[in-house]
Amino acid sequence: MIRVESLTKVFRRPRTFPGPLGALRTLVTRRYDERVAVDDVSFEIPEGEVVGYLGPNGAGKSTTVKMLTGILTPTSGLVEVGGRVPWRDRSANARSVGVVFGQRSQLWWDLPLIESLRLVGALYDVPAAHFTGSLRRMCDLLGLDDFLDTPVRQLSLGQRMRGDLAAAMLYDPPILYLDEPTVGLDVLAKQAVREFIVDTNRAGRTTVVLTTHDLADVEALCRRIILIDKGRVLYDGGIDALVTAYAPPRRLVVHLADDETRTFDIAGGASVPELIGRVAAENTIRDLSIEEPDLESVIKQIYAESTR
Amino acid sequence: MAEIARALRLYWVLQRATMRGALQYRLNTVISVVTGAVYQGSGFAFVWVVMHTFPSMGGWSLREIAFLYGLRLTAHALCMLPLSSLIGLEWLVREGELDRVLLRPLNPLVQVMTKRMGMGQVGDLLTGVVLLIVAAPPWNLAMIGFCVPAVVGGALVEASFHLSLSSLSLRMLDTRALRGFLDDVFSKFGSYPMSVFGGVTQWVLTFVLPVAFVAYMPASVLLDKTGSLNVPALVAYGSPLLGVALFALAYRVWERQLRHYQSSGT
Amino acid sequence: MIRPLAGMARVGLRFQLAYRSDVIMTVLALIAQVFLLRMVWTSVYGGAGQARGLTLEALLAYLSLANLQAFATTPIIPLIAHFRIRTGMVFFDLSRPTGYLPQMAAFQAGHTLGGLLMLAPAVPVVLLVGTITPTAQPLGYAATLTLGYVISVMMSLLICVIGFWTLETGAISLLYRLISQFFAGTMVPLSFFPGALGVLAEALPFKYMGYVPAAIYVGHLSGGQVVQAMIVEVSWIAGLAVLLWAVWRRAHRRVVINGG
Repeated sequence: MIRVESLTKVFRRPRTFPGPLGALRTLVTRRYDERVAVDDVSFEIPEGEVVGYLGPNGAGKSTTVKMLTGILTPTSGLVEVGGRVPWRDRSANARSVGVVFGQRSQLWWDLPLIESLRLVGALYDVPAAHFTGSLRRMCDLLGLDDFLDTPVRQLSLGQRMRGDLAAAMLYDPPILYLDEPTVGLDVLAKQAVREFIVDTNRAGRTTVVLTTHDLADVEALCRRIILIDKGRVLYDGGIDALVTAYAPPRRLVVHLADDETRTFDIAGGASVPELIGRVAAENTIRDLSIEEPDLESVIKQIYAESTR
Repeated sequence: MAEIARALRLYWVLQRATMRGALQYRLNTVISVVTGAVYQGSGFAFVWVVMHTFPSMGGWSLREIAFLYGLRLTAHALCMLPLSSLIGLEWLVREGELDRVLLRPLNPLVQVMTKRMGMGQVGDLLTGVVLLIVAAPPWNLAMIGFCVPAVVGGALVEASFHLSLSSLSLRMLDTRALRGFLDDVFSKFGSYPMSVFGGVTQWVLTFVLPVAFVAYMPASVLLDKTGSLNVPALVAYGSPLLGVALFALAYRVWERQLRHYQSSGT
Repeated sequence: MIRPLAGMARVGLRFQLAYRSDVIMTVLALIAQVFLLRMVWTSVYGGAGQARGLTLEALLAYLSLANLQAFATTPIIPLIAHFRIRTGMVFFDLSRPTGYLPQMAAFQAGHTLGGLLMLAPAVPVVLLVGTITPTAQPLGYAATLTLGYVISVMMSLLICVIGFWTLETGAISLLYRLISQFFAGTMVPLSFFPGALGVLAEALPFKYMGYVPAAIYVGHLSGGQVVQAMIVEVSWIAGLAVLLWAVWRRAHRRVVINGG
């Protein structure tokens, strides 16, 4: 469905000059600052897969997504989405993708939600009969009925996000890009968003690319993740394999009598009772627990290693 | 062709939606319309007061200048009503709204145009049309046949400057102040018979910054005053065409800057 | 008491200077305006030596001066107050011991000072376009202009206070600016205003920000007229002070009770 080969994006900006006439100098200068945002990235995403595209801020995530959606043209390399080159065929590509930005709504601020959905329907040439069915389905899946007639500016963040998801899926695009769809949402709203993604993926074989900082989203939705940092792919594969391959050691956390907490790495193959015994011999233990490695600690470690 | 019809239909749908949104703030809407009308009206009030003492300005009577004023103002409103959203283009770029525009299957300019509803321009239009109707010489079919394309052509001349300078904000160049200044020059100098300025100023306002083409030349044709122009009468008759040519050029500048935006991601 | 006000004035000054590139264009627009007026008036005067007691030279000097005055003293505080009421920052202003109105007045003064600084490079150009010769009544000019500026600031303060009710002063202040500049006579001296419009313009206080000082400068008004103008200006200031005090008391109570 999505094929990316040796994708590279170099931002080349004319040097900016200060001062009142600086803008003019910027316009005519031949001196440029260059920054490689995406560096030789390749991956393929088959139809119906849900992939987490992860990386720290400034890693090149949104630059990649902008090239996948045709907003940006690549410096070099190949992007193909559903057999089309997005930037060359931006309009046609637009009809086959839905995009949700958690931070920015595409809804009309001063109008009731239903009007925004109607406008999106018109923009994507959804036939009237089809629109009614689609809207019904969205309302059922996302529980929009209670606030369809409320102006968007009066919606809670969770309601607004559900409205945005409906707007993005109204015209049944085969691909859905989600950029931090759960940012700022409460637990229940996050749950609703995740369930909707699972449902659309299952029912319509929709391919989903999810960028997020919330690893709980990733664990709940994706079986595969692509990790990038500084524009390069660090890891591409299953979550389970990632945790096994990169798993940091389990750790023994001991709370001592004098309110002190100490942690000990449990080396591979070491005996836990033996370690506890050793610690108990030297201290008075009030409580203890064993920390299993989770996705977050794994990813933290990978970033740490890539920086080194 | 079908694509253009679709774009026009969607423009209307989207612009109406934005207008519905703006109309929710009723007091603001009323004040904006009134301010627009007063702003343009005060410019004409100046002419009216001056001509109370001096009945002729550059060989034109008060009524003739009122017609010229109305013609320019109507053209201006016709330009700014659809393009007022460009005033906020810098903001759209900074907030990433332009990315959303590029994600939708409709001409980006059409989408940008519908982002805002210029209520002040409604006031401009009201003042302009009132002046045009009150001060017009007796109409005949030929005059109407020239007046309509003349207003559209004048609107396009202004629009082409507005559009091409606005598109530079896709390169993160803030041209708002410059656009404000040009708008000011078009409004102020475009509303007088060029014979008032004469000499170098008239030449500059004809051939460098084509302010004279917006309303002065078409008004000269409609008022049968082409004899005192600094160009052959034929040029005045053809003045609406300049707007079409300039706007085509401006649209290419816009498309170029949009491609630049897509490659640089500013 | 003085220090916070000086601080507010500095903010106003910096605010004006922060938009330098915008100001360059605004100054250009000012020059274009004076240039346009010169063209139009020269054209209508034609060969006429005098109209309504003004020679063309005196008129052009009058127009340059009136426009420079209008530019430098543009009221900014209605916009600032609008912004601060909308964002709730007004509560910080209200919590300071110096009082809201003095703070706003100080801001305006700083902004005007900044305007004068920005204007410095434009003055020679405007003078070239408009030709001004030294005045015979420098004291009368300075006194009426200063009093006129005080009136202008007080009117702006009135709009700021009205903002506590309307919560919207942006468009209102633009409307105010248009009307005040027209009746101040920045484009036409009041002596040209016909009939009822002339009576109205004479009765309104806006003329003290433009017409009166500029007309005194070029000698169109002189002697007893100057003294009379100053007396009326002082009465306006006294009247506005009472009005401002009364309106402010109600506004303040409203803010305290309703929380804005």
